[in-house]
Amino acid sequence: MISYILRRLLYLLPVCIGILLVTFLIKAAIPTDAVSMLYSGQLTEETSAEAEAIIRAEFHLDQPALVQFFYYVTDILRGDLGVSVRTREPVIDLIGYRYLNTLKLAFASLAIGVILGVGTGIISAYYKDTFFDVTAMTVSLFGLSMPAFFLGILLILFFCVELRWLPVIGDGSWKHLLLPSLNLGLILSASLARITRSSMLEVLDLEYIRTARAKGLNERLVVFKHALKNALLPVITIIGLQIGGLLGGAFIIENVFAWHGIGELAVKAIIWRDFTITQGIILISAATYVLANLVVDILYQVIDPRVRLAG
Amino acid sequence: MKAYSLFLAAILLVTGLAACQPAEPINLGLEVPEGDTFSLRIAEDPETLDNVRTTSGAAEAVMALTFLERLIYIDQENVIHGWLAESWAVSDDQREVTFFLRQGIKFTDGNDFNAQAVKFHFDRILDRANASPAKAYFGSLQEAVVLDDYTVKLVFEEPFAGLWNVLNYAYSGFNSPAAVEQWGEEYGRHPVGTGPFMLNEWIPGSRLNFVRNPNYVQVRGDASNPGPALLAQIVFLVIPEDGTAMAALQTGELDASVLNADTLPQVEGKPDFNIYFHENSTSLQFIEFNCEKPPFDDPQFRTALGYAVDRDAIVLASRGGYSTAIYNPLAPGLIGYDEAIGLEYGTPYNPDMARQLLDDLGWVDTDGDGIREKDGEIASFEMWSYTGYTYVPRTLEVIQQNFLDVGIEIEIKLSDWGAFYPSLKRDGLDMDLMRWTWGDMDVMTVLFRSPGHRGHIPEDAELDAVLDAIETTMDFEQRLDLARQAQTLLLGRMLIVPIQADWTMYALSADVRDFHTDYFGYLIAGDLWIEK
Repeated sequence: MISYILRRLLYLLPVCIGILLVTFLIKAAIPTDAVSMLYSGQLTEETSAEAEAIIRAEFHLDQPALVQFFYYVTDILRGDLGVSVRTREPVIDLIGYRYLNTLKLAFASLAIGVILGVGTGIISAYYKDTFFDVTAMTVSLFGLSMPAFFLGILLILFFCVELRWLPVIGDGSWKHLLLPSLNLGLILSASLARITRSSMLEVLDLEYIRTARAKGLNERLVVFKHALKNALLPVITIIGLQIGGLLGGAFIIENVFAWHGIGELAVKAIIWRDFTITQGIILISAATYVLANLVVDILYQVIDPRVRLAG
Repeated sequence: MKAYSLFLAAILLVTGLAACQPAEPINLGLEVPEGDTFSLRIAEDPETLDNVRTTSGAAEAVMALTFLERLIYIDQENVIHGWLAESWAVSDDQREVTFFLRQGIKFTDGNDFNAQAVKFHFDRILDRANASPAKAYFGSLQEAVVLDDYTVKLVFEEPFAGLWNVLNYAYSGFNSPAAVEQWGEEYGRHPVGTGPFMLNEWIPGSRLNFVRNPNYVQVRGDASNPGPALLAQIVFLVIPEDGTAMAALQTGELDASVLNADTLPQVEGKPDFNIYFHENSTSLQFIEFNCEKPPFDDPQFRTALGYAVDRDAIVLASRGGYSTAIYNPLAPGLIGYDEAIGLEYGTPYNPDMARQLLDDLGWVDTDGDGIREKDGEIASFEMWSYTGYTYVPRTLEVIQQNFLDVGIEIEIKLSDWGAFYPSLKRDGLDMDLMRWTWGDMDVMTVLFRSPGHRGHIPEDAELDAVLDAIETTMDFEQRLDLARQAQTLLLGRMLIVPIQADWTMYALSADVRDFHTDYFGYLIAGDLWIEK
């Protein structure tokens, strides 16, 4: 197990280098950089050209792309993600607390999504074709179809503006965390409910479940111990993929709730053409994604010892 | 191999853990006075509050109304007054401007504001090592010379008439030299000025708290409160989304937010809110052409397009009626704007006139498909603009229909500003929809003096001479005359088609009192108060 984990962690290296290389190639193909964006719209381009040249030299942006790449990778190996051209702050400081905010939001959303989604899926499967099942699956279809930002605005209008129960903005307490995580969690629960339901239905029809029931086992034991354990495997796969999405793609929700996470920063960095920040975020997101999938793989073996960890 | 793997894993783990360390909020530990707090929305966190290092709108919006004060200000009637300078004198050769500073002004760290502080600021802007974006705005400024403790002289290589404008922006405000030296590269997070508010706390990406400067003395004639600010605190809340800001206004988490045509209806007519309009706009939206590429190289063709544009429809569709239809190549809020010239030489909506001019040029619809042709070329062109603002596509959609009505087809092309603006220099460009905000008539020189800001305006000795003179003529009356000449010549050549000048609008909680702005739309924050 330990050697497997270390081997998977080692895979991070080529993944990160590959990602850095691709982002560098994209960067090289784009005609503007953070410096020209910093001075964009200056009244006399001749004057700003002098200042631009000074900053480009300071950040090695006047060097060929390959040399820039070399500088960047060398810095990364020293644990330095570089300095933002726009804010002049270390990228690690810019990303740091935002990453923590994004993690908080991701895990709170995940908790809500899993509890609601898996719970609804199990009940729907058990009470197949009942009123509850039909209602739950219809609602989940709405959840799948509804744009996340739209649900976000509805939640704000209902809980903040109408009921005045929760604050609209901020990231200081659980009250601020509740709505954005509920927003993402509800969207996530829609897909989890449907997958859990179909997976459970498949398992509940299998012979070993019939055998367990025939042996007179307690129904709760049949469902939660024997059926759910096997039904969870595809659900865990989806959860693993969703964690990556939550960590890298929650920027719309972060913007709607003014939740200052890395998604929000990524959007700004792209607009600013501040590639040092963009690369830092991509690197951290990629590492998180790989680690999340590693955890999923390990969970696989915990749930089903027949699964062999190899790779 | 095993040791190598462990080493790499350790690096990644350390990097990951380091990334988890939250940034410490900047807390300057100032005493928070008793009194009311006013919360204002900003869409973006400033990257720094060192005005030598930034001229961005995000930083300007915070710095200009809190801790930075300037030498002069322009009031709502477009009259220049002294602020930190009591008076000034221009040398005979117009290359030197001497400012006589007000005495008794102190920075909030207790140090005196004096000629050394003014020189210190301009030295920092001119210092190549700072690569200050503000330097680009100061023309041919050579140096600042201290004549005595309260007299300082700015020396230019060429007369620089735009000085009165640039002295109003936040990058012309003064920082305490002692604080700049104390904090060095970190000064942008620990700014110290002479203004009515002092930075107390900054949670990056989230909020900035400013507290009242208890020793402040207001000298501006357009302010009503001569003493320290009436508010105890101003809080700037970073809220990127308009919809979220509107909800925060309704719940009372915000006291004020800038509005646009989409958000205004949400608060309009509601008793809980007041709306403040700053109509004296220094912004101009216009269509500009590649004047070196046929058929846009023909002024008559450009004029025909000018007559085809229904500005009133654009004002309604793109700004909900809250902007001014414009026929001059200069924003109406600027000194030198002359409405009569626009009415005489401009192109009011007249599609019949547009059709007639196009017919005269030989552009006719021969195949009956509604689109004109000439010498085998179809009148189908591209119009570029930028993303991120709802008024842009809405303006373009009206223009597209207006042009189609006279037999000209356009394809709308949008990209984000970073890609859009540099791309305008390419030879193949047809036309674009642009918007520019600037506080002085020399915006005409910057944009339209050949070869133009994007390189598509052919040399024109007569026009260029007038535009050059606008930059170097310090005499106020002469400059007004030049502005009139430039507007007339630009309309005669129809280098651009002016469209509209948008207003700045704020939604205010009903209990906010004495909210008012100056010539540039900057809030005079010391006058604000909240009625209980």
